[in-house]
Amino acid sequence: MTALFVDEYPAEARLVKAAFLSSFIAFGIGALFGIIQALHRTDIFRFIDSIKYYTVLTGHGVFLVIAFTIFFLVGLYQWAVTDSLERGPVDIRFTWFWYGLMAIGSFLAAISILAGFLEQPPMVLGAELRANVLFTFYAPLEANPLYYIGLALFLVGTWLAGIDWFRTWWAWRDENPGERIPLRTFMVLTTMMMFFLGSVGVIVSILVFILPWSLEITESLNPLLTRTLFWFFGHMIVYFWLLPAYLLWYSVLPKLSGGRLFSDPLARVVFILFVLLSTPVGIHHQYMDPGIAEGFKFIAMTNTMFLLLPSFLTAFTVVASMEHGARQRGGEGRFNWLQALPWRNPAFTGMALAGLVFAFGGFTGIVNAGMNINYLVHNALWIPGHIHAQVGTATALTLMAGSYWLVPQLTGNRLVGRQVALFQVVLWFVGIVFMTNSMFRAGLVGVPRRTAEPQYQGFEYDVPVGSMGELNAQLALGGTLLFISAMLFLVLMLLTVFNNDSEPIVDGTLPPALSGPEDSPQVLDNLRLWFGIAFALVVLAYALPLAGIVAQSGLFGQDIPPFPVSSEAVMYLEFGLDYVGALVT
Amino acid sequence: MHTSPAKLLILIALSLVILVEGRTVLAFFGINIPPLETALIGLVIIATLVIWAIRPLRGSPTKSE
Ligand code: HEM
Ligand SMILES: [Cu+2]
Repeated sequence: MTALFVDEYPAEARLVKAAFLSSFIAFGIGALFGIIQALHRTDIFRFIDSIKYYTVLTGHGVFLVIAFTIFFLVGLYQWAVTDSLERGPVDIRFTWFWYGLMAIGSFLAAISILAGFLEQPPMVLGAELRANVLFTFYAPLEANPLYYIGLALFLVGTWLAGIDWFRTWWAWRDENPGERIPLRTFMVLTTMMMFFLGSVGVIVSILVFILPWSLEITESLNPLLTRTLFWFFGHMIVYFWLLPAYLLWYSVLPKLSGGRLFSDPLARVVFILFVLLSTPVGIHHQYMDPGIAEGFKFIAMTNTMFLLLPSFLTAFTVVASMEHGARQRGGEGRFNWLQALPWRNPAFTGMALAGLVFAFGGFTGIVNAGMNINYLVHNALWIPGHIHAQVGTATALTLMAGSYWLVPQLTGNRLVGRQVALFQVVLWFVGIVFMTNSMFRAGLVGVPRRTAEPQYQGFEYDVPVGSMGELNAQLALGGTLLFISAMLFLVLMLLTVFNNDSEPIVDGTLPPALSGPEDSPQVLDNLRLWFGIAFALVVLAYALPLAGIVAQSGLFGQDIPPFPVSSEAVMYLEFGLDYVGALVT
Repeated sequence: MHTSPAKLLILIALSLVILVEGRTVLAFFGINIPPLETALIGLVIIATLVIWAIRPLRGSPTKSE
């Protein structure tokens, strides 16, 4: 057995641990908010004001899909780069600097969200401290400037993390001229190229339009423009959530199965395809938006369908590697090899089940991506069903499973409760199927998402099977199982961290691929070339739609003042609606 | 034991999942299974799996995995 990561790279291990800690704190709060939503919107147990539901929902979105996933990503990638290049960063103070920026940024965003629970939020930067704008922060919904400042700092920190990993690679390249980029570093670098390109949209949206507007430096903005810039980033970000899971599936899962990765070149091709295709598809989130010509939506749809390719390649490579591993362990027969896999190992089982849910969730994504059928599910509860199958399980469950393998190597402590851990990942799998099945079915009959009280007077949903009551019960049951599973995970992690006088029983070495980098064409490692093509594709997909949006109503829109999201604003809105209602009837 | 506890756990989880999703698929074909019956079927499946799993192997009564 080789030395543990913590013994070989103690300084880097400390940073990875700090990143995981931030990630897990966000996960805990996010999960708590999740169960509150599940019980509230189904009217099973409502203990908060329905107006506060949107504060909870903003927290759920931001803490889970921004903080939990991205903090884990930077920790995992720091491990991957260090371990695969066998060297630390050029200057570890810079590494702590970007982590610090990310931590401060998320702290600022978090307090501006959580202040929404106060009866009398304090005044900060000339406005009440709150941010009930959901994680998509569509203008003219307005949050306190602090929220946008927090997001901006977090994004800058993530950029610097990417630059740090590139610097480490450049330094390694000088020391190892002519060598292929090690696979895990290749995955990190390509992910970050994708992030650099795609995050430009949201950074421009925040820094040029939304932040100045919330500080009242500019008076107006163009909501369709900021929304389009958000989704320029918004589909790329889903792969930013997913690729850490892919990294684990490609590098760790084959080893856990007892074998080796099937093909190194295929893995490289997959990551390059994500660099090329993950950004010029963002408009598929805007099929229902007026102001974008149908032709551009059609192009976005076509590009999206091409994105199925890397996912199918992954399914093939990962399953082939698992089968190889099972046969190494003595598995035989056409399907019987499945039995030879190490199902007792929570890290393996968690990742395998996550992959299964991902395959299923992928098909629901094809529904979302189809221009015509999207109209059926748009803004319906179907979408959170899809979200929880993908980032909520393919990513979240893989990261939890990966932690069972990685955290012992980062702490030098043995994992506490292996059997409980196995139960935990299986419980997540069952919970997610209960919850998402209900969300999909409810979405199909038009139950809206992002709604505290999705029941209306004098109107019944036409549920073809069972009843709304049954769907609600199933959603709440699934949500409860998920919450229990999340808490079990956090308890096991905590116990492991304090399990000091123990020896971990993991082997951190990762075997080389069956078909190694020598089989990959050299051009795959030409990162400049792929970035150039990706850039050109983005220009092709976005130049005309953005120009069209600006031509229609200007860079800064026409007289679009902020719509502050506070209880008073909602009261005014309710009053206004009642008034209009009275006029109509 | 006919199988290991870990595999039993996963088999139970998979059958619950297939039950929930299968019921949805059947509903698309007009075959509706009410919630209570679904739960009962689930219990029967779990009981069958558990009994099958812990039934001693013939010939080697004490050997467990
Ligand atoms: C503890 C387990 C969880 C429960 C019970 C839960 C529950 C829910 C519910 C009921 C909604 C729908 C709210 C609505 O539309 O009114 C929702 C939305 C959402 N959830 Fe979760 N969730 C959980 C875990 C997760 C995880 C692990 C992730 C991602 C890593 C996640 C990401 C999201 C996102 C992005 C939304 C949409 C937010 C929005 O519309 O702004 N959830 N969740
Ligand atoms: Cu998308």
